[in-house]
Amino acid sequence: MSRPAPVTASRPSGHALRAEGIAKAFVSGKVRTQVLDDLSLTIDAGELTLISGPSGCGKSTLLAILSGLQKVDAGRVIALGSELGELDSRALERFRLLHTGFVFQGFNLFPALSGLEQVELPLHYLGLSGRQARERAAQSLDEVGMTPRMHLRPSELSGGEKQRVAIARALAKRPELLFADEPTSALDAANGQTIIDILHRIARTHGTTVLCVSHDPRLIRHADRVLSMEDGRILSDQRPAPPAATPEGTAP
Amino acid sequence: MVALARKTLVYEWRRFLPAILAVGFAGLLQLLQAALVLGIFSSASVYITGSSADLWVGYPGTQSVSLGRPIDPDVEMRLRMDPAVAHVEPFYWVDADWRGAHDTGGESVYVTGIDTRADGLMFSRTLPPALRARLAEPDAVIVDRADVDKLGVKVGDTAVINGRRVRVVGESSGLRALGGVNVVTSLDTARQLDNDPTDLGRPTYLVARLRDPAQADAVAARLRGDKGFGPYDVWTARTFARRSVLYWMLDTGAGAGVVFLAGIVFLVGAVITSQTLMAAVAGSVREYATLNALGVGVGNLRWVVLEQAFWVGAIGLLGATLLGVLLLVAARSQDVPVVLNIPITLLCVALAMALAAVSGLVAMRSLRRADPASLLR
Ligand SMILES: Nc1ncnc2c1ncn2[C@@H]1O[C@H](COP(=O)(O)OP(=O)(O)OP(=O)(O)O)[C@@H](O)[C@H]1O
Ligand SMILES: [Mg+2]
Repeated sequence: MSRPAPVTASRPSGHALRAEGIAKAFVSGKVRTQVLDDLSLTIDAGELTLISGPSGCGKSTLLAILSGLQKVDAGRVIALGSELGELDSRALERFRLLHTGFVFQGFNLFPALSGLEQVELPLHYLGLSGRQARERAAQSLDEVGMTPRMHLRPSELSGGEKQRVAIARALAKRPELLFADEPTSALDAANGQTIIDILHRIARTHGTTVLCVSHDPRLIRHADRVLSMEDGRILSDQRPAPPAATPEGTAP
Repeated sequence: MVALARKTLVYEWRRFLPAILAVGFAGLLQLLQAALVLGIFSSASVYITGSSADLWVGYPGTQSVSLGRPIDPDVEMRLRMDPAVAHVEPFYWVDADWRGAHDTGGESVYVTGIDTRADGLMFSRTLPPALRARLAEPDAVIVDRADVDKLGVKVGDTAVINGRRVRVVGESSGLRALGGVNVVTSLDTARQLDNDPTDLGRPTYLVARLRDPAQADAVAARLRGDKGFGPYDVWTARTFARRSVLYWMLDTGAGAGVVFLAGIVFLVGAVITSQTLMAAVAGSVREYATLNALGVGVGNLRWVVLEQAFWVGAIGLLGATLLGVLLLVAARSQDVPVVLNIPITLLCVALAMALAAVSGLVAMRSLRRADPASLLR
């Protein structure tokens, strides 16, 4: 079941992501698994959109396709006005460098680098000077509350702190799109809550489009929109009532 | 720039240690075998390198000093006529049979007859003047310190060469011969000892010093042309020395041996180094994939791996150099013939770095597993 683009009168900023009739199957040996089947959706800019659903229903695959990490079998994906299927792998890398950030379930931090260096590293490839990169990295780390511990290596950080460094690494590039796959599943309740708050704040204050896959029911309260998936399709598309007050106000 | 390659190497040095050791030992082995082979075979040219002659005149086609044949002594006139030539003297080479005082059996020796004057060219760098002067006395010979045991004599003893009694008047050092024993005498004694009737007292070589050694090539070419005397040819000392060493290396198959062994060492080193680097890359493959997801190109990631290989090579070589110097000094002190020159050292360094680079290129392939899509499951 696919729907046409939902009416989003509340947010005038337009679509950041659009998928049209995408299909994806994996073949391993003689077994062919149709993971996504004729799925269409639009994601609005500056929103925190949550994708939830049972294990194996294709959430991560959808995220990989929308972020340009995986090719579709059919259909097309338009991200920030570019059709991803038309970009070659070089251009896709470039697109990701300029526009997308990722937060994974595992933190994937280099053991040898301090928090600050982890965040700085991708910035150099963005063409920033050493000083600019350092300043920006420090700023991002400050945003996730890691300033006091930014000179420590991953082995000296807790799980929640590592995930905050990983978020700062994605954030420092100032991406328009932020993809997060189960960012809280390796964390306990309190740490998970911190991460959720940070993602929420990023969408609010930076106007970043955050697309997050999670089982975590706590996230639902914070999401602008919740998509429920099952068997490669989107079953429901809800906008939960906004939490009592949004202290930061509206996005720029 | 965050020095990812270098920081990882320092932080996870244990992981890289096998690669560093492999490069280091490969470099060290190459260096030591080169030094040994050069050391052993450079004694083939000790007659040339130990003397201060700029030009060597000998029988045409002579491949090594030890293979000389007598030439027309009148060529000396021709040499003296050339204004560039400052000094000429003959040099005798006689293959002879040695019998020691204490009946140690026959020993084949190379008798080298030299001009014993203080300003003589032959062995001017290996024989101290006092020792040289002692040769002036008839039937006096000098043997090398390294050969004393083999010959069964000590200074003051007498021995018999080609049936003629000689007396050992001194010991030289650094005159060890290849495939025989050097015995140094005066020109007269050498002539006496030469019992080959076809030699007719003719010298095996004429050696010359030039007023301007820089002109050696030109003068050699000029002197070579004259057909007015018997057959002779003229070489610069450098050419003749190199030719002699090369002759021995090729003749004994040592050259091919060196190349073969170098190839094996290179291969083994590269296998160990590339495997270690690959394991290191594989250990960080999720982090590399994350960087790629964030848009850092595969080319840039490859560069990180290559940089890592470079540092592994550099550190390995540093260790090899320190150890190599110690070993060479130890070898020298034990009279083991080792010789190193700058081109050979640079070649060994280049080989070790090439080994590291090849390993880095091989290890890059592990990056293929850094597929960012695999991080989303
Ligand atoms: N590279 C692949 N090769 C083969 N099958 C794959 C591959 N990636 C995913 N799949 C299959 O596609 C299906 C959907 O996988 P996906 O990772 O998208 O699920 P998910 O919704 O993220 O599940 P979870 O909540 O457990 O993470 C699964 O059945 C999985 O086995
Ligand atoms: Mg998943």
